[in-house]
Amino acid sequence: MKKFDHIKADSYEQASQIIRESHGTIDPIAGGTDLLGTYKDRLLTTYPKAVVSLKNIEGSQYIKEDNDNLYIGAGTTLKTIAEDETVQKYATAVSEAAHSVASPIIRTTATIGGNLCQDVRCWYYRYPNDVGGRLNCRRKGGDTCYAIVGENRYHSIFGGMSTKSAASCQAACPAGTNIAKYMDYIRQGDFEAAAQEFFKYNPMPMMTSRICPHLCTDDCNQNTYGDPVNIPAVERTLGDYILENKDRFYKAPEKLTGKKAAIIGAGPGGLTAAFYLRQAGHDVTVYDAHEKPGGVLQYGIPHYRLPKSIVDEFCNALKDNMGIQFVMNTMVGKDISVEDIRANNDVVYFGTGAWSQPILGLDGENLTQFGLNFLEEVNTYLQKAIGEEVLVCGGGNVAMDVALTSKRLGAKKVKLVCLEQRQEMPADESEIQMAEEEGVEIYNGWGLGRIVSDENGHVKALEAKRCLSVRDKEGRFNPTYDEEDTMLVDSDFIILATGQKVDVSFLGDKLSQQLKTNRGLIDADIESGKTKQDGYYAGGDAVTGPNLAIRAIRAGRNAARSMNHDLGGTSAFEEFKEKYTHFNVEGVENPKQNKLYEKPVEERTLADEDRQSLDQQTAVEEAKRCLHCACYAVNASDLTPVLVMMNASIKTTQRTISAKELFTTHLTVQDVLHNGELVTEIIVPKTTGTHYDKRRVRDAIDFAIVSLAERFVVEDNVIKDCKLVFGGVAPVPYTLEKVEEYLIGKEINTEVATKAGEIALEKATPMSGNEYKIFMAKDVIYQAVCRAGGIEQEEIPVL
Amino acid sequence: MSEQIESISITVNGKLHKFLIGDFDGCISPSEVLLDTLRDHLHLTAAKRSCEHGACGCCTVILDGEPVASCMVLTADCDGKSVITLEGLADPITGELSPLQRAFADNSAFQCGYCTPGIIMSTQALLMKNPNPTEAELTEALSGNYCRCISHYQVIRTVMMFIESINEEAV
Repeated sequence: MKKFDHIKADSYEQASQIIRESHGTIDPIAGGTDLLGTYKDRLLTTYPKAVVSLKNIEGSQYIKEDNDNLYIGAGTTLKTIAEDETVQKYATAVSEAAHSVASPIIRTTATIGGNLCQDVRCWYYRYPNDVGGRLNCRRKGGDTCYAIVGENRYHSIFGGMSTKSAASCQAACPAGTNIAKYMDYIRQGDFEAAAQEFFKYNPMPMMTSRICPHLCTDDCNQNTYGDPVNIPAVERTLGDYILENKDRFYKAPEKLTGKKAAIIGAGPGGLTAAFYLRQAGHDVTVYDAHEKPGGVLQYGIPHYRLPKSIVDEFCNALKDNMGIQFVMNTMVGKDISVEDIRANNDVVYFGTGAWSQPILGLDGENLTQFGLNFLEEVNTYLQKAIGEEVLVCGGGNVAMDVALTSKRLGAKKVKLVCLEQRQEMPADESEIQMAEEEGVEIYNGWGLGRIVSDENGHVKALEAKRCLSVRDKEGRFNPTYDEEDTMLVDSDFIILATGQKVDVSFLGDKLSQQLKTNRGLIDADIESGKTKQDGYYAGGDAVTGPNLAIRAIRAGRNAARSMNHDLGGTSAFEEFKEKYTHFNVEGVENPKQNKLYEKPVEERTLADEDRQSLDQQTAVEEAKRCLHCACYAVNASDLTPVLVMMNASIKTTQRTISAKELFTTHLTVQDVLHNGELVTEIIVPKTTGTHYDKRRVRDAIDFAIVSLAERFVVEDNVIKDCKLVFGGVAPVPYTLEKVEEYLIGKEINTEVATKAGEIALEKATPMSGNEYKIFMAKDVIYQAVCRAGGIEQEEIPVL
Repeated sequence: MSEQIESISITVNGKLHKFLIGDFDGCISPSEVLLDTLRDHLHLTAAKRSCEHGACGCCTVILDGEPVASCMVLTADCDGKSVITLEGLADPITGELSPLQRAFADNSAFQCGYCTPGIIMSTQALLMKNPNPTEAELTEALSGNYCRCISHYQVIRTVMMFIESINEEAV
C-alpha cells in the first residue's frame, strides 16, 4: 500500500473543509474496508497524500426514530444496523441488506456511509494501475471498457453509463458529436432519432461524411480488435436519409423572434451558424462572393468526392424550406460594407474562411497556378489542355484533390512533391492511397527551391531541395533544408497547393484595426465566437487559420449558440441525456468493417462520385460494431437499491438529497456529491413489508450478481402497492416502474409472477458473458412475487 | 498535514502500548494497518497475513469486543481501543491454553492450522457475547473465516461439543 498521512477529524464539517482545501489530495475514510482494499490493490492512477478519518467523530454512530422516520448516522456499522430491532421492524430490507454485506468480521468495521460511497468490483477496473497501466479502463479515465468483450459477472445487463471522460470518438471529433449515441439509434433502426441527435452537433452529415478526415475513427476502440467502426459510412447513410426527408429536417421555425442575423461567408461554418440561428427563429441572411453557396464545399472539393448536386440540395433546403436568405455574388467590403450589414442586423457572423494564396517568394512563382483556384476553375480546364507533366506541390488534402483532378483531366504524368515524409503527410491516408492508385508519383521530403523556365517564360521544372525536418522541437511548422542537395523535377504545369491564407481586408480599415490579430486573423473567442466588438462574431478558418471543415462547423454552431443567447433566444440548443447506453453483443465482436463501394480506378471520372453509400441495412450492421464505450460495472452496494426502493433521503454536510437522485442519476455517488461533501445521515421512512433478496455464488463475502429490493402490500392475495428496485444488474440501482404498474391490482399467482419477471427484463441487453443474469433476475422477481402471495417455490440455484 | 507527531495508546491482550504515529524510525506509519503493528511491532504473530483484503479471516482479532479483520483497520484509528489476539487467550503466566484452544487441539479441529487463529478469535468473540449459540449462529459467525483444507466440519463439531461441555459444567 502507498504510504499516506492520517488526520483525525472531530466533526464532519472539519473533515469536509480539510478535503475541500486539499484539492483532491486527501480522501475521507470511514470504516476503511472498501477504501483500504482500493489502496492495497494499487488500482488508482493517483493516491491521496493523506486520509481524513471519520471514525472518531463523536456522535456519528446512531439509530434514532420518530413517528415517521429512522435516522441512521453515517458512521454506524453494518453489524449494528443489521442487529438493531427498530431497523429490523421498520426497515427490514435495510437490515437484511446490511446483514448480507461481506462477512461478520467486515460488518463490525464497515459503515453505512462507506457502503453507499464504495467503488465497483469490476476486475478490469481493479487491475493494478502500476502493472504497466495496461488496463487503463474508462472509469479510471482511460478509453476502453475491457468488460465489453471480457469477463462480466459484476456488470450490467441493462447497458452502460457514460463516464466523466467523454467517449473517445466523441472527444476526437472536433464538433464533439455524440457518435456512440447516434450509432445506438441507428442500431435500433431509428434513423429519425439518430438524425435529431446528429443535428445537435452538425447540420450537414451528407457533407461531412464525404469530406471529413474523421479523426473519430483513429480513437475508435474497435481498433484494438480489428477495423474501426466505419463511422463515415454510417454517417453518410444517415446523411442520405436526411436529404431524402429534407422537408422534415430542414423546416422553417414555428415561432419567429423578429431578430436579424447576418452571416458573411456561405461555407460550412457560416451555413452551420445560419442553420442553428434560423432554427432558433431568427431572420438569417447569408452573404457570399460566389455565385452559389457552399464555400469550399461548392468550389474547393472536387465533384468526385462531394457531388455538387448534394451541396445544392442542402443549400436549397436551407433557403427554400428553412427560409434562410442568400445574397450571392456579393463581395462584402466592396459591394456592401460590413457596417451597412451590421446596421441592418442585430448580430453579424464572419465565416469568411481562408481563400487567399500565400506568397512563398519563390523565383518564378508567378508562373505557377494556385491550387484552390485550380479546383474552383476546374470546369474551364475541362475545355483547355492541361500540361503534359503536372507537378503538384503540397502534402495536404487540397494537394491530393489537385493531383487527382489533374490526372483525371488527362495529364500524362502527375507528380507531387511535399516536405513531409510519407507517414507525416497531413492528407488523409485514404486520399494518399487513392492518388497513388491512380498513378500520382509522390516525392516525399522535398522543399521548393525555384521554378525553372525557358527563355519564353514557359515552365520547365521545379528545383526542389532536400527537407531535413518539417517541425521544430516545439512541434511548430519550421522546415529546415539541405540547400546543397537539390533535384530537378521536370514539369510544364506547376500547381502550388501549399496552403491558403486568411484575408480580412473586407473588414475595412476601422474594423480591421479593432478585430484583426497580428497574424492577420480575426480576433474571436474560440468557444463563443465573440469578438471584442459588440454584435460581431467570427469562427472557422478566419479565426484559426486554415483548418478542417468540421472545426468550422463547430465554430459556427458555438457562435450560433452565443448569438442566440445574446439575442435573448432560448431552446434549440438543449442537450438531453439518456441514462443507459447499449451495444450489440454479436456486432462488437465483428472485427471487419463494412466498406463503401468504391469504383475501380479505370471507372473513376471527374463527373461522378467515386464511392457509393451503404444501404440502410448495412449501415445498421456497421453501427452494431460500435462498442458504445461506457462503464458497464455495477454499483456493488447492497444498501443503495434498498434506499432507493424505500424513498430514503441522504443528509450530507451541505444538503439533503433523495436516494434516487444520489444513487441513480450518475455513474458514481462522487459524481453527484460536491468536493468535500460528506454523507452524514440516512433518513429512512418507516415502512413495513420490505425485503432484500440477494443472489450470489457464496453466501458470505460475495457481492450480488443480482439483487432485488422490494416492498409488497397485499390484501386478499391482491397486490395493492409495490415497489421494486434491482441491484447488481445496471451501473446504478435499476427501478422497475413498469413491473410495479403491471403488478398493482393483480391477484398473485405463478403466471403473474412469471409475467412480472418478463416485463422486468424486457429492456435487458446482456453482454458477452452474462446472459445468465437475465434468468437469475427473472427468477428473483418471480420468487419475490410468489413469496408475497405465500406461494412456496424452489429458487433457481446460482451455480 | 499533521504538524505535531500524534501519539496513540492501544491495550493489547491487557497490556497498554503507546505508539507515535509518523514516518520515522520506531514510529507507526499513518498508513499502517493493525495486523502489521501486531506482527511487526509487537511480534504477536498468531494473526496471519493472508489475503489482506478482509476476505479470508486469517487476521481476525477482537477489537473492543468485536471480531475484525485486522488487515483492514488502520492502527492510527485504534487510539484508546482494546485488542485481544490469540496470544491473549492462553494464561499469561503459565502459558496454558484456554479451554476453547484446548478443545481445538484435542479434537484436531484444523488441518494445516494457518486459518485456525482467526477461526478461534471469531468463535471467542461470539462466545463472549453469546455463550450458548446455536449451530446456525456459529456458522454465521464463522462465515468470514475461510479454510482451504476444509476443517470447517471439525471446527463446527468441536465448538458445538465445547459449548455443550461448558454448559454442562455450568449446570
